Amino acid sequence: MSPVIVEPVKRNASAVILAGGKSSRMGRPKALLQFDNEPLIVHIVRALKSMFAEAVVVAAPEQELPPLPALLVRDEVAYQGPVGGIYYGLKAARGEFGFVTSCDVAFTNLSLISYLTSQIADYDVVVPYWQERFQPLHAVYRRSVLPLLKEQLERGELRPIFLYDKVRTRKIGEDEIRRLDPEGLSFFNMNTPEDYEEALKRWERMRSSLTCTVELFGAARLLAKTREVSLALPQEATLSHVFAALAERVPVLVGRVINSDGGSLFSGYTCNINGLDFVRSPSARICSGDKIFILSADAGG
Amino acid sequence: MYGFHGRLLHIDLSTRQSSWRELEEARLRAFLGGIGLGTSLLYEFAPPGVDPFAPANPLIFTSAPLVGTGLTTTAKFAVVTKSPLTGFIADSLSSSHFALELKRLGLDALVITGQAASTVYIYINDQEVEIRAAEPLRGKSPCETEALIRSELNSPAVCVAAIGKAGENRVRFATISNEGRHAGRGGVGAVMGSKNLKAIAVCGGRETQVADSKGIEAIADSLRQRSLGSLTDKYRKIGTVANLAVFNRLGTLPTRNFQQSTFDHAEALSGESLTEHNFSRRHGCASCTIRCERLFKALNGAEQRLEYETLFALGPLCGIKDPEVVLQAAQLCDLYGLDTISTGGTLSWAMECSEKGLLPEAQDLRFGEPNALLAAIPLIARREGLGALLAEGSKRAAVEIGGASLYWAMHVKGLELPGYEPRSLKTMALGLAVSPRGACHNRSGAYEADFSGEVDRLRADAGRGALVAASEDFAAVLDSLIVCKFLRKCFTDFYGEGAELLSKVTGWDCSSDELRRIGERIHNLKKLFNMREGWRSADDWLPERLLSETLPTGVAQGTGLTSNELREMLQGYYQARGWDQNGLVPEKKLRELGLTLDRVQVVQNVPIVQAG
Repeated sequence: MSPVIVEPVKRNASAVILAGGKSSRMGRPKALLQFDNEPLIVHIVRALKSMFAEAVVVAAPEQELPPLPALLVRDEVAYQGPVGGIYYGLKAARGEFGFVTSCDVAFTNLSLISYLTSQIADYDVVVPYWQERFQPLHAVYRRSVLPLLKEQLERGELRPIFLYDKVRTRKIGEDEIRRLDPEGLSFFNMNTPEDYEEALKRWERMRSSLTCTVELFGAARLLAKTREVSLALPQEATLSHVFAALAERVPVLVGRVINSDGGSLFSGYTCNINGLDFVRSPSARICSGDKIFILSADAGG
Repeated sequence: MYGFHGRLLHIDLSTRQSSWRELEEARLRAFLGGIGLGTSLLYEFAPPGVDPFAPANPLIFTSAPLVGTGLTTTAKFAVVTKSPLTGFIADSLSSSHFALELKRLGLDALVITGQAASTVYIYINDQEVEIRAAEPLRGKSPCETEALIRSELNSPAVCVAAIGKAGENRVRFATISNEGRHAGRGGVGAVMGSKNLKAIAVCGGRETQVADSKGIEAIADSLRQRSLGSLTDKYRKIGTVANLAVFNRLGTLPTRNFQQSTFDHAEALSGESLTEHNFSRRHGCASCTIRCERLFKALNGAEQRLEYETLFALGPLCGIKDPEVVLQAAQLCDLYGLDTISTGGTLSWAMECSEKGLLPEAQDLRFGEPNALLAAIPLIARREGLGALLAEGSKRAAVEIGGASLYWAMHVKGLELPGYEPRSLKTMALGLAVSPRGACHNRSGAYEADFSGEVDRLRADAGRGALVAASEDFAAVLDSLIVCKFLRKCFTDFYGEGAELLSKVTGWDCSSDELRRIGERIHNLKKLFNMREGWRSADDWLPERLLSETLPTGVAQGTGLTSNELREMLQGYYQARGWDQNGLVPEKKLRELGLTLDRVQVVQNVPIVQAG
């Protein structure tokens, strides 16, 4: 799926991709798995470069990697676990903070990543909490935590969550995540050949879907507390698919803006597609890339 | 008589005499109240060709049949006069407890003519009329004036409508203010100022009798329920300021004196952002369940009302991106009693003149310059320096400056354009061109077709004529019953329900067809007044910029409107109206509408224009 760019490039931020894992269960280097006709590491770096000022790839000593548009750093000590990778990556990064991920996450959701980075202003760490587990390798870290990470490494505390109690940590709950990534695909790691097969199948399905963006105005925006929502829909989707997907993503709109049946709008609201066509019929077809405005049906004032 | 009191009060400030006069039922049935009754009285009382600032120009306040019935959104009154800005009809509505108290005086209309020798205010206590000295009130804001009069009369029940400094100084777009709301457009406050009339204070005690109070109660309950549903979500949850962000996205937000229809900083000024960062409280007019008013907090701690037209006119139109500056500018307009649309429209004209070297005395007045904007508003109200020129409005100011400045004056008939870009709203473009009071978004809802998907808003065709005519007639009925336009979508069959409501209030057996005909009659009489005052075909036209430049940004980029397209729409409109191809009302149409000697006495002297 083509990445949907939701925010301009974050100039003060870096993407840090940890590529130095052992890949023992996969049986071959995960970074080099073919994905979307390119090595997985290339696929991930390319996606993140569209959003961050720089990408830093942290590899194991001697690890072979294809040419990458990224700053390449090596673990000073191999296989120190995630804390080591985070530490070496952040240390090399030039941004004020870094979004840290691993090289086995194929489904890069820029809307969610944008949301995570938007939360860092008053925090040192922004970490998603999905299915009752912190996701330290899909999290944002301020570079100011480097001394604490170094101390952890020295003490042999190789789990990142030891850091979270010591600094200002913003935990992103499931409800927040689901709004932008309903299935939590961002946390789908490929550890085994079966995972890889599953990811390829999903990718094929997603490639055959369309994406659109819903822009919310007025009372709908105030309720949703967001200006826009990106949706992936089946090919030949109609407006009713949009409303249903939106209802699932932003449940607060149901019963207020979207009818309880999930397939139509309340009479006080209407739709405009791409700023040109006002459409209310739920059977109206949607094209990939469409911008769908949800606004008041009353233009007066 | 039910629903009405059947009489008017005429006060002549020159002679200090007042007199009561009967209003015959046939006339009330022909024109209802509000704008309709006001138009008929204007036709009768204004001498043909009268100077708007002459003592003889009547300043008419009217009530309406639904006022005082407890129906939601009906606490309104109309002010009608000959506009000093356009030279045609000025018909303005406002809403507050003043509307309720005006009707409790036991009248349907208050007609003020003449000119007081010095500044006065009128106090009407039930049947007693007093003309009281008001020299100490000169220079006071409308809000201060209301408080001082209540204090002087020692009666908190008194309701006051007042002008500010702008009205006293005959700024041609001055308002009449009441409880912080305004009869805003067309310069009705300047006419009041020309009569040396600072305020009108009213205190009545007469209830209106209705024919079927139980029937009205049932309709009132139903409308109240409907007024709290999804159809009014916008007004109840965020207010009209909601228009700004979406208009920007649709390429319909006039920006920098109509040079663009999108504004780069629209999100910062949006209603959604204001609600998030500046919201103070929600407020409503008297008797209103919708309560669309929003008060926002300014940095100086004051609360300021803001609605879309003010936000657009003092924001994007002038290139201002800081909501705080818009709030301060709106405060100043309220303080002096200025129409915010015409203030913004005239200032944006001056900004363009200044940037292009035609106004060397106002070099600081540039798009996006907050200090110059805030400094200019008091000058306008005081008619000092550059303010003396701008107080005349953009049309007259452009004639004074001449040259290319005429091209930048964005008005129709002298009234500055509201916040709807005509090039990307073609039905609205026609509505603005033909409106009797000038560029107006309230005397029709022509934009409704454009925003509904009923038509292609970016293309023009002759079929828009019928849509605009229907919209004007609909508005004429709403404005004469009077019902707020924000309730309009809550009716499933407006004419049917409106006729039933009117019948229950008045005891008349009124049909939906009769109500439609009333709307058409009122609109035609407005046109007849304008024709009598010198209307020419060229007055139904749009500013040349709109017909020469295409939109440079946004989803409507590249869209324009040609003179030929406008002509085609105009012909469609005149045809739909049953007027001749020059836009004149033929005798046949007058007969159709019952505008005859025996039916409506007021129009007995109408110059009958032959068709063709």
